Amino acid sequence: MSDRSPVPNAPEGGSPPAGPSAPGLPPGPAAPVGVIHDIGYRHYDGARLGRGHATAALTVHSLRGIFGLGRPARAKIIPFGLFGIMMLPAVVSIAIMALAQQRGMAYPGYAVALQPIIAIFLASQSPYAVAPDLRFRVLPLYLSRPVTLWDYVGAKLAAMTAALFLLLAVPLTVLFVGELLIDMPGAPLTSDYLASMAGAVAYAVLLAALGVAIASFTPRRGLGVASIIALYLLSSGVSTVLAAVMESVNDYTAAGWAWLVNPFFLVDAAVQVGIFGTEPAAPGAYPGGIGVAAAIAAVLGLTVLSVAALIMRYRKAASR
Amino acid sequence: MNGVIAGISYRALLGRRRIWLLVLLPAVLLALAVLLRTVGADGERATVELLKTFAIGIMLPLLGLIAGTGVIAPEIDDGTIVHLLSKPIPRPVIAQTKFLVAASVVAVFAAVPTFLAAYLLVGLESGVAAGFTLGALIGGVAYAALFMLLGVVTRHAVTIGIAYAVIWEGLVGNLVPGARRFSVQQWAQTVADQISTSSFLTTEIGLGFAATALAVVTAGGVVWAGQRLRSFSLTGDE
Repeated sequence: MSDRSPVPNAPEGGSPPAGPSAPGLPPGPAAPVGVIHDIGYRHYDGARLGRGHATAALTVHSLRGIFGLGRPARAKIIPFGLFGIMMLPAVVSIAIMALAQQRGMAYPGYAVALQPIIAIFLASQSPYAVAPDLRFRVLPLYLSRPVTLWDYVGAKLAAMTAALFLLLAVPLTVLFVGELLIDMPGAPLTSDYLASMAGAVAYAVLLAALGVAIASFTPRRGLGVASIIALYLLSSGVSTVLAAVMESVNDYTAAGWAWLVNPFFLVDAAVQVGIFGTEPAAPGAYPGGIGVAAAIAAVLGLTVLSVAALIMRYRKAASR
Repeated sequence: MNGVIAGISYRALLGRRRIWLLVLLPAVLLALAVLLRTVGADGERATVELLKTFAIGIMLPLLGLIAGTGVIAPEIDDGTIVHLLSKPIPRPVIAQTKFLVAASVVAVFAAVPTFLAAYLLVGLESGVAAGFTLGALIGGVAYAALFMLLGVVTRHAVTIGIAYAVIWEGLVGNLVPGARRFSVQQWAQTVADQISTSSFLTTEIGLGFAATALAVVTAGGVVWAGQRLRSFSLTGDE
């Protein structure tokens, strides 16, 4: 490289033009000489894959990060630990089916029974998906590429949705495959399984939208985790207390509405019970007729509201 | 106890968005109490049930978590804790000061609303209000110490804290009776049971065990956090 530099052994800049030269150094030229070294930079002339690929790459990267893949071992403990707990009832149910020829966990009740685990997964992993980018203010870097704000938000939402769907769909599918292999007496509960898979999609979409939206409002991971779990515990606690109070004054219709305060029962009432007609997973019955329509409207409304809040939040973050 | 550290911790805890969560939880408790009173379900049984499941079961661990980790974890996350640790202040004093801040915040935001909710529903009848207030106070202080220690020990303090509160105390505690012996909530209820004469509140743990456990967790948490800060090394983010 040095043979290409026009003045070999010249001191690079620095030396004052008219000052006395430092002892021990050969007398340099009077004016500093700028040198551009050829450091072997190559121009990229491969294919440019464009916006869609960038968004897809961001989605996959976020999804891997949510499960701790590509991060240190410590980051894998929590997601995979929770995933393991999600698998436990499926494994136990298969064992019960194999040994006692009895059904364990019902498909539509799976998400409701394990709602604290799903809530903790959502709370602990959705701040990971959004908080670091906000905290280190790297959003303008993403947006200087072909990725737009909608692409970025969509990729984060898609990653969280996929993660939650996997969290629910894998145990349900394992349970169903187990049931098919064991060959229980009577027809397999295919319709229940399909209803619960549709439910898993609805759970994933609603919870991911809510979780990512809440997490995006604070750049602090700890506070994001606490906010999401606080809102889940509040909604489930309020719905339990309200339903118990309404039942104690013998108002069972109001008690049915009270269950819908909990997002897990809301999705159960809207999709699994309302559309597919499975048994309600709540301890009481949901409101019928208008209740189903209201639950579906609430699921859609909450999702749209969360996405709108996310977009607004990121418009603000991107402009800083 | 160091006044400056206390001031900084109070500002960090109460001056940002954290305060909304701290206010939201007691507000929901009071709203539920008002609602119970309005629909006429304000008997002693409903009151005990509300305080047991909502005040002690949900509000208290969450407040302890937000206050306990909130006094120290954000500073460790940002790395600004090094400015504090480089001052000639004994590290155990830092831990004690931060614990006192967290404990006082939990006392104000948990114990006072618990008393108000109970008073609103049953007045001072059969010591329910006094019992649950003391239970919430002592339990909240223990939670604050426990979760502050978690905040010093691990970066995932909040997640581990909620996993303890929700999975261990909630899920496992409901299924396995033995797990209840190692649950701050149950100890707090035992304290409440000692003062209240209500027949709707029954606990299985003796006061001796609960009081000892609460004292050990509180003192042990603060001392261990102080020791841990003495040899604290700031590692990078993941």
